[in-house]
Amino acid sequence: MAQVEDLEDLFENAPCGYISAGADGRITKANSTFATWLGGNKADLIGRRFPDFLNIAGKIYYETHFAPLMRMQGFFNEVALDLVRADGSTLPVLVNAVERRDEAGHLRFIRITVFNASDRRRYERELLEARRNAESANAKLMELNRTLEERIAEAVEGRMKSEEALRQAQKMEAVGQLTGGIAHDFNNMLAVILSALSLMERHIAKGEDVARFIAAARDGASRAAGLTHRLLAFSRQQTLAPQPLNANEMVADMSELLRRTLGETVRLETVLAGGLWQVMADRNQLENAIVNMAVNARDAMPDGGRLTIETANCQLDEADASSHGIGFGQHVMVAMTDTGTGMTPEVMSKAFDPFFTTKAVGQGTGLGLSQVFGFVKQSNGHIKITSDVGQGTTIKFYLPRLHGPVSAPTVSARQDLASLSGREVVLLVEDDEQVLSLTAQMLRDLGYGVIEARGGAEALEALAAHPDIKLLFTDLVMPGMNGRRLADEALKRRRDLKVLFTTGYTRDAVVHNGTLDPGVNLLQKPASLEQLAAKVRAVLKT
Amino acid sequence: MDVLRRGNVKTLGSGAKAMVFAHGFGCDQNMWRFLWPAFAEAYRIVLFDHVGCGGSDLSAYQPQKYASLEGYADDVIEICRALDVTHGVFVGHSVSAMIGAIASRKAPEIFDDLIMIGPSPRYIDDQNYAGGFTEAQIHELLEFLDSNHMGWSQAMAPVIMGNPDRPELGEELTNSFCMTDPDIAKKFARVTFLSDNRADLPAVNARCLVLQCSEDVIAPQSVGHFVHQQLPNSEFVLLNATGHCPNLSAPEETVAAMKAFLEGRAD
Repeated sequence: MAQVEDLEDLFENAPCGYISAGADGRITKANSTFATWLGGNKADLIGRRFPDFLNIAGKIYYETHFAPLMRMQGFFNEVALDLVRADGSTLPVLVNAVERRDEAGHLRFIRITVFNASDRRRYERELLEARRNAESANAKLMELNRTLEERIAEAVEGRMKSEEALRQAQKMEAVGQLTGGIAHDFNNMLAVILSALSLMERHIAKGEDVARFIAAARDGASRAAGLTHRLLAFSRQQTLAPQPLNANEMVADMSELLRRTLGETVRLETVLAGGLWQVMADRNQLENAIVNMAVNARDAMPDGGRLTIETANCQLDEADASSHGIGFGQHVMVAMTDTGTGMTPEVMSKAFDPFFTTKAVGQGTGLGLSQVFGFVKQSNGHIKITSDVGQGTTIKFYLPRLHGPVSAPTVSARQDLASLSGREVVLLVEDDEQVLSLTAQMLRDLGYGVIEARGGAEALEALAAHPDIKLLFTDLVMPGMNGRRLADEALKRRRDLKVLFTTGYTRDAVVHNGTLDPGVNLLQKPASLEQLAAKVRAVLKT
Repeated sequence: MDVLRRGNVKTLGSGAKAMVFAHGFGCDQNMWRFLWPAFAEAYRIVLFDHVGCGGSDLSAYQPQKYASLEGYADDVIEICRALDVTHGVFVGHSVSAMIGAIASRKAPEIFDDLIMIGPSPRYIDDQNYAGGFTEAQIHELLEFLDSNHMGWSQAMAPVIMGNPDRPELGEELTNSFCMTDPDIAKKFARVTFLSDNRADLPAVNARCLVLQCSEDVIAPQSVGHFVHQQLPNSEFVLLNATGHCPNLSAPEETVAAMKAFLEGRAD
């Protein structure tokens, strides 16, 4: 009896629904679990058919699929269906069914077993969702892979285009600044010259003294010449005359000049490395650069401070060099450190721009550092600023080491004009009538005999007609035969002829990479009488 | 295209007159296993599977062609022409009753008699017409198919799916009759339950038998009567059998009704 009770309990309270149905499909027995799931009474289930408790889709599928399956194979397994509870809600279930037949093969009843499949259905949904996501991600990945190369190329091209556009914009800004600045400064200087000339004209007519106007005009012209010189330095197109130099000796030689420049409130200290290597640089330009930076340092220390000039040998490794776009290897460093106001990163980034200045109007041209930058770059060197606001600024420049014999620095002594005159005959070739006439006059004033020519052909004729010509003094840039070709032709006919070139612009035949070819003499335009005299004399003396 | 291979066509029996059996939605030619032997002596039995069901050539499934019952009817005509069937008997279960009606309208010479088991020309109620389902219920069915893909395909198509993740399904679950491709089954369900072939009925000139089950959720009695009324030349028999598949649940009663109908022919 207890055993029957036990089996009854197992049937009623099993973790799955049990249903027995007759051959006609009508329910004859259902357990409590199934009745509880449906939310109804066990007794109410008797006489109903299993599909009555399914949702509409289940009803249709049961009739069209599972009932035929049962009939044909005697069972069906794991069919996913939805039960509809008394309250209208649905319960996902898995249904198995099997026919129980007696030994004669007659159907006794159909056993239907129902499992709660809520969890399983949820897992299936999650699995399907995960599979869809994975497929979608995979598809995207494949698409990405397929187009990756193309997209990288596009992105790189886009980046390069925008960088190029930025560079172009920066260039235009710099050009704008430059031309604006030049126009402004040049107009001032021309105003001085024109005013002085007008005043001279008036005062000469009245027989009055014009010396101060001449001085004013010359000053204006000199300042204009200085400006173009600095522009050429910035544009790295000045003509450099590099020579072997020892930076320590230079700094020592300059210390007196620097002390005067710095004034009493700024202390100068030098930390000079022993055994410093030589460099190859234009002495005047290097001096200019050091003075320029000293002036900037002084102006950054209105209340006084300390300027330290330090020299050192240093090795720039390949990584340093390539990250800064400079040559690597052995360099001589000159560092100038002040204890001044320092620069903001913004100011620092513009420090080398032409006409950029933090000084008050009239106190700086904004060309100083750009000139230093141009010179250092043209000398294959590198310059770098480090600065903190309130802490001071360090500017370091590096010039490549010169490997070779130490040669004594040549110091040019100033000579007076009288000792620079001569009586030789000079063939002067210049296509600009005004320049030709004025230069000829200056040479004559210096005592030289002058034969004028306005071009190469005329010059060669004159050379043939005047065997006493000792010096060919020619402009480089001329229509037809240029100065260099003229000199070559002339030297073929007169091997002892001296040659002196002149030009206002230096990217010319005698200048390579901004450096004069050995043995070539050049006078930079515009030149003062003194400069002309000294150069002509020097060339004739060789 | 070999239409006989496409439809997994089998011909049996020793009679001269052809009897063509067409299964309905949810099964394949297996569903006729208790019926056709009763006619094998007197008839030349033709069994086949609709494309997408049973042993048909699944690759022949063209969504556009089979988007209406007309596509299935054309297949029936092609099979019959390939087998030189004329003046035959067509036995169609459920949706295939309508497929037969369409085939008969299009090619009247093929069938003299149509036996329709549980026919319905339209499942969705329409004004005065009671199809047995509201539109919402049919959409619920179609949504169930879409959302319950895995449970359904697991139950119905272990062999065809060849589920490589669970090889035991093929051997143990063996819900192996009426195999079907789940994706095609979804489309077949859509065509079946959204179809409206009421207008085809008056154009059928063949003699028709409407076999109606007593309690059929899919095709209620009112629908059977409607079909009987719309067909110009038809008989109506209400079976004691319940459910939708009397050919399986009550084959003897079904065979008897069919024989009575066929013997009552004028010829």
